[in-house]
Amino acid sequence: MKRYNLMAGLAVLLLVTSLAGCAIPLSRQPASQQPAPAATQSGNMSRLVTLDSPSPLVAVKIMLRAGSAADPVGKEGLANLVAASLIQGSFGNPAQPVTKERLAEITQPWGEGAMPYAQVAAETTTFHMTIPRDELGSYLSQVLRPMLTTPQFAASEIDRLRNETSAVISVARSEDLEGLGLSAIEMSVLEGTRYQHQPFGTDDGLAAITRDDVVSFFRSHYRPGNVILGVSTSDPAVVSPISVVVNEMNEGVAASLSAPRMGTVTPIAGRQVTIIEQPNAPAASLHLGFPITVDRLHPDYWPLYVANTWLGTHRDSTGHLYQMIRQERGYNYGNYSYIEHWNGRTGSLFQIFNQPRSQQYFSIWVRPVQHEYAYPLMKAITWELDNLVANGLSDQQVASAKNKAKVLYVNLGETVSRLLAAKMDDAFYGSDPGFLEGYLENVDRVTTAQVNSAIRRHLQTANLKYVVITNSASVPGLTAQIRGNQASQGKSFADYEFPEVKRADGSTGWEIPEARRAMVERDALWASYPLNIGTVRVTPVGSLFKTGTFIAR
Amino acid sequence: MKGARFTTQQNGADMRNAMKFAVGVVILLATAATAPAQFFPYEVQKKTLSNGLDVIVIETPEFADVINVNTLILSGSRNEVEKGRSGLAHLFEHIAFRHRFEEPANSYDTRIDAMGAFDNAWTWFDVTYYHPVTFATNLEGLINLQAERFVDMKFSESIYRTEAGAVLGEYRRIASDPSLRMDEVLIDLAYGPQHGYGHTTIGYLADVEDMPNSFRSGEAFYETWYRPNNSVVIVSGDVEAENVFRLVEKAYGSWRQGAVPEMPDVAPLKGPKYGHVDWSSQVPPRITQAYMIPPFVPGSTEAAILGLLPELIAGQTSPIFQELRYDKKLATDMFVGRQSAEGFDARLLETSLRLDDAKFGEQGSAMFKEVESILDRGVAGLAKFSQRPNAAATLDALKSRYRYDLLASLNSPHNMAEVFAWYYRFDRDPQVLDKLVAAVDKLTPADIDRYAARHFVPANKVVVTMSYKAGGAQ
Repeated sequence: MKRYNLMAGLAVLLLVTSLAGCAIPLSRQPASQQPAPAATQSGNMSRLVTLDSPSPLVAVKIMLRAGSAADPVGKEGLANLVAASLIQGSFGNPAQPVTKERLAEITQPWGEGAMPYAQVAAETTTFHMTIPRDELGSYLSQVLRPMLTTPQFAASEIDRLRNETSAVISVARSEDLEGLGLSAIEMSVLEGTRYQHQPFGTDDGLAAITRDDVVSFFRSHYRPGNVILGVSTSDPAVVSPISVVVNEMNEGVAASLSAPRMGTVTPIAGRQVTIIEQPNAPAASLHLGFPITVDRLHPDYWPLYVANTWLGTHRDSTGHLYQMIRQERGYNYGNYSYIEHWNGRTGSLFQIFNQPRSQQYFSIWVRPVQHEYAYPLMKAITWELDNLVANGLSDQQVASAKNKAKVLYVNLGETVSRLLAAKMDDAFYGSDPGFLEGYLENVDRVTTAQVNSAIRRHLQTANLKYVVITNSASVPGLTAQIRGNQASQGKSFADYEFPEVKRADGSTGWEIPEARRAMVERDALWASYPLNIGTVRVTPVGSLFKTGTFIAR
Repeated sequence: MKGARFTTQQNGADMRNAMKFAVGVVILLATAATAPAQFFPYEVQKKTLSNGLDVIVIETPEFADVINVNTLILSGSRNEVEKGRSGLAHLFEHIAFRHRFEEPANSYDTRIDAMGAFDNAWTWFDVTYYHPVTFATNLEGLINLQAERFVDMKFSESIYRTEAGAVLGEYRRIASDPSLRMDEVLIDLAYGPQHGYGHTTIGYLADVEDMPNSFRSGEAFYETWYRPNNSVVIVSGDVEAENVFRLVEKAYGSWRQGAVPEMPDVAPLKGPKYGHVDWSSQVPPRITQAYMIPPFVPGSTEAAILGLLPELIAGQTSPIFQELRYDKKLATDMFVGRQSAEGFDARLLETSLRLDDAKFGEQGSAMFKEVESILDRGVAGLAKFSQRPNAAATLDALKSRYRYDLLASLNSPHNMAEVFAWYYRFDRDPQVLDKLVAAVDKLTPADIDRYAARHFVPANKVVVTMSYKAGGAQ
């Protein structure tokens, strides 16, 4: 009964560096739906998520149900600027404010985690902090209460943060090829919606934001009823005072809270390519994607999760795409697929939580390859996806993917911070049991028939978008290949270094080693696979992150 | 009970009592400014096999069913001394995942997949670290598989060449960031080609491109450095130490010892030295100022000071951080790396800044000089740290922060093993984490003065700047 042992394991995982002797009895009911123990009017109260960690360090996370998708049109970057200037824009008594300098002094002895950190995603903004349990009183009176209840939003700080964010945008265009591609595929697939800009915003949006915009966003969205509060202990002595502070946020301030309009996803017609020209890109970055309707609550979520684990688990060598493109052929560093969007993929080995969202998309990420391989690998990934949709997975493939998915659970819930974050996402989605709580059982329950039916229902290759980033020199050739719908072999027999042989007629050729025969046959299928691209759009990298649309008009 | 010990004959009940005691210590930590008896709340159990392999076990039974079987090789890019073969340690880390790749039913990949293990590794200047994680039922299988690949790795030249392509892909993935090129210039200036610290871990592009032809060098690297007396196995999670010792001894017992060559000494830097990178993409300019500092010796005053220096130099409370980021707004980003400065040999303590593009447009390279002089004032100026009016209070705050940060990093069996391994390598002391904390606790403001006066001098200084120039490097 492996599974039940593991479930017990998860409960005990919460104890972290501390042990059984100090453990607080685990709550028998799901903690995610408890109301905060604070006296506020119904409907104006944060939702509380707790764990039972007795660690001397308490993780506190305050998630607002408002992120970059709530940026007003033309003010892209506002949610991010509000979060940053809430922390760094001074707070407390205006005569003696807690400036950013003072805040650094106050939190310095409590460790790096005591400095609040804001994570802005499309539909949420989450403030993370780790507080020594014995310093909680000081932390609340000196930091959290004044920050949430009397922010100053100093204009000079807003300007400084705006300027620093502009540098972030510049770096996103020019220094981080992989991050650029990951941003671009999201913006491309969800073009026309409020997901088509990144949380850091745009050049024009940042320039247009005023201090009044910052204050107004704070008043509208930073409301207790809009909060999911996460605390790593359920000890009322810790939880209650934090809840009280959160429920004081914008107390008595009139503002109406209207859910942001996310916009409607335009169905993709046929196969479309956007080539982003980055003059000096050292390699090509390749992405494919299309919207899907599956989210955490969808009955096909777990079957599709297992299918995706087989196809392209993030940063894992067992994924099919990784095996085909990297392990067998040595094209690049890695190849993965996703059924959920999340930021931070270039740096993290595992999904980063606290980025829940109502609109998801499927995507494939081919990490940088030599420019000339971009086109043949577009064919390869599309063929592989096509093949998956046409043939599904075997019992053995599903069993192996389930096996992998189960171990992934250990990593996804590795720390208290991760467990808490996952549980807050459950509260956002309304998942019961929660993602990690139900994980092993849900994976275990998935059948091959369910996997294959989910693949057929949600994956397809008829209507999709590609993003390719490549250098100026490669743009004309790539465009011509795509428009000409050309056959294209990636690595040749010479590249694979097969032994050269002389045939009886005197000509030379290559002897294909027996072990590589299947690979060569697959290469031929990829090479002749027609992409039949409908539209090709070429755009300079400077057209990204400029206005509120994917590509500046 | 006295901290860590070598092997244990304790039974389970004793262990649990020991753990309870440890919890008390952790909670004490949160309140006490003075050093408690023990910082790391777990017993570190150690056994050294007759072939020199150190086996470390950290039992964390509350993380039920989870195990890590980590292998630390005490060699990395520092040990690449063959000309034209930079990057070999990292390539070899990749190769270790290709053990028996051409035997599909029996390949390393296939067997890891059968356990559903998450399996990854990293390479750095001094060490290479392999860190698979899986369920406790796979303990014996995972130990045996790790032993097999390190004791008797089987890889063909053909697979070696294919994997070289993946490494080239990894180089390309980071090459759009000018950091890599700046690092290359910086460490070449500081160490030159005669020391392995003189090139980056990924290696020079020309060497990476030529990696398919390095098969013989790769074999030699494995033969020389992948030796039990140059390695540590660290197992953490829901395990029993005696069982792990027995399994590891059985699986690794046949691993042959080898002579581990000495590496050349680091030559004096003879600074100040300056380098510049012209970069062909329009990126904001940067500057890195670095000082050569002594080798890391856990428990020493110098190692303890290094633990506090990043916050002291570039933390948000530091005078130069505030001047550069807030008052003059010359920099939009500022960072000091601590871990990269902790090395077997003398390393560089680097302060890196991204500068304001618009201001650089107005001031040009004079801005580099202005920033450098502010950095000098802040770093070399630490020689007068004890004269600051709040020196003692600042030092107390930094000590407290150091403890909380170290404690926060020990938040899972995987992370405990990794943090432990990082420091254990220096003098193979199972009590190393406690030793670090104890040394930090003892520091006085005058220690900071002496350190700065001795090490933050022009002779130890190297500076590299980078700015956009059409037709520059990429």
